[in-house]
Amino acid sequence: MNSLLVIARRELTDLKRTRFYLILFGFLAVVMILSVIVASLDFRVKIGDYNVYLDALRRSGSTETPPAPQLFPLQLLRGSIEYLELIGALFAIIIGYGTVAKEKQHGTLHLIFTRPVSRFAVAGGKTLAFAVAWAAVTVGVFAVMIVALVVVGNAPLQLIDLERLVLTGIIAWLYLMVWSCVAMGFAALARRASTGLMVALVAWLIVVLIIPQIGDTMDPDNQVPGGLFKSLAVAKPDEKAVMANFAGFDNVRNGLEVSSITKHFERPAFAFLGIKDQYNQQPVSDVWGSMLPYTITLTLAFLAAAAFTGIATTKRALLRRES
Amino acid sequence: MKIFAAGAYQELLSSRRERMPQILLAVFVGMVTASSVIGWLTNQVVTSVYDRTYAAGLTTQPNPFSAVSPLYYAKNTVIYIILIGALLAIVVGVQSTIRDRKAHTFDLVLSRPVRPASYLGAKLVGLLFWVAGILALSAAISWTSIGAIVGSVLSPGDTIRLLGFYALAWLFLLPFIVLGMLTGLYSRRETTSLLVPIVTWSVLTFVVPQLGTAEHPVSLLNPVPAIASQGGVFQLANLVLGPLSLTEHFKHASGYVLGNTVGAGNPLLSLAVMVAFAVSLLVVLLTTQRDRMRSPLDE
Repeated sequence: MNSLLVIARRELTDLKRTRFYLILFGFLAVVMILSVIVASLDFRVKIGDYNVYLDALRRSGSTETPPAPQLFPLQLLRGSIEYLELIGALFAIIIGYGTVAKEKQHGTLHLIFTRPVSRFAVAGGKTLAFAVAWAAVTVGVFAVMIVALVVVGNAPLQLIDLERLVLTGIIAWLYLMVWSCVAMGFAALARRASTGLMVALVAWLIVVLIIPQIGDTMDPDNQVPGGLFKSLAVAKPDEKAVMANFAGFDNVRNGLEVSSITKHFERPAFAFLGIKDQYNQQPVSDVWGSMLPYTITLTLAFLAAAAFTGIATTKRALLRRES
Repeated sequence: MKIFAAGAYQELLSSRRERMPQILLAVFVGMVTASSVIGWLTNQVVTSVYDRTYAAGLTTQPNPFSAVSPLYYAKNTVIYIILIGALLAIVVGVQSTIRDRKAHTFDLVLSRPVRPASYLGAKLVGLLFWVAGILALSAAISWTSIGAIVGSVLSPGDTIRLLGFYALAWLFLLPFIVLGMLTGLYSRRETTSLLVPIVTWSVLTFVVPQLGTAEHPVSLLNPVPAIASQGGVFQLANLVLGPLSLTEHFKHASGYVLGNTVGAGNPLLSLAVMVAFAVSLLVVLLTTQRDRMRSPLDE
């Protein structure tokens, strides 16, 4: 077995044995399930409100029947996907950082390099290990979400829904890998591992929270609780007509949002799951075609992050920092 | 008293010298500077959106932004205090106690006739002065940038409101500093001491408000507070978890102080929640045992 595989195997064993990581994964799964529960309860509240409204209409003698709220099961996953982009990224950083920090703290790097390990064996082995770990976690988390959808959300899933979930799972894996690779690279480069963690956390803060937050806050519809246009009693088509006059501002806002890699995960995920109305119930091939640019940029970001880790976590760099 | 003042001063100096939080501090100050511009730009656009909607005869509702105070432009600062300020507070809190555990300063100090509560209290006071200094700088930046945007010096009333908001921010950050100090004291590893309060912060910022309001996590990054869902389950969840929703309470109270009443709840309740958080954590910190402070790190 070559050194890369040996390091990957050891890393996986460490990940399995570290209770802290298991707690993190468990926490992520719990908040994602809670989010499905909240979304399904919210849908039931909407159905209840609809029935009350319908009763009031009937009592007033109206024969009009407004359309009932429709349940699209995968839309219940919106909160869970958002947790994956916020908290999942944070945990990916912790894992990426931890994999280098433990070697620095325990002084095991010198021991590893007494063996004939190849130039990129440490970076490659560790990246391979958390690629396997994140694949297992993503499969686990998505399986849990499917169970939550069926059991709690009482939402029947079709085969096509599973296909959409698999595609979302793949891009989620890419997104989490980006963060783990970046954090590992920073932890390797920093003299003190905790400084590397701090730099990665600041990157997370800016890329995952601040940039999307600025874009979100600049959305005119978000200026009033419940939505500006809703508070002004403006219908959706009229809203679009009004906003067409502000295309320039919207382009700037959108440009800001897409400068964050988080949006390159969120947008295809929301499209595949039909959370964005324009992609809801559309053929997967059409959605795939529309989301291809985001998928490409996310893949490129992953490759860039992996390359960064490879360069930062070489034998030479690690030993130089340790000495 | 002399020892207490010396402890506080030493902590103030150490925090200033600490390099790790400085990158967060730079981001915080940068975003506070940018927030007034973002607020102003958004307000200009939303007013134009309303004017067009009204001119097209699509609404007869009054413009919700027609008489906003100049302090409306500072509303994004609220969210930066929740996002960056809280993380900064956690990091300086953790560093404060971890530093002493690493260097065995606790052992040295506690060998003298110093009570643990007194020493920890002094450290906290030092950190609170440090945070107050940063918030004072932020207040000066906000005051200047809003004044530049509206083209006049802020009125004494608005200035007092702005200062009130930053005082509220100081109170909001206090529990996060203490939480950081506590995890720095109780964790076996430096990494855990940083991560536990960050995970706690993410629960307070995203999970707890979502359970009471059914809002999506990303929507909670909006400075406008989320409205509690009216369904029976959510009303109950909001009743139980509402008091734990520290960040939403800060948004409510800040909205009130900044004169942005859109979506503001009961400010006194929000203030009471913030005080309750601060006091409970302070009690835990100040009752920390000598042995805990002397416990070594596992690294």
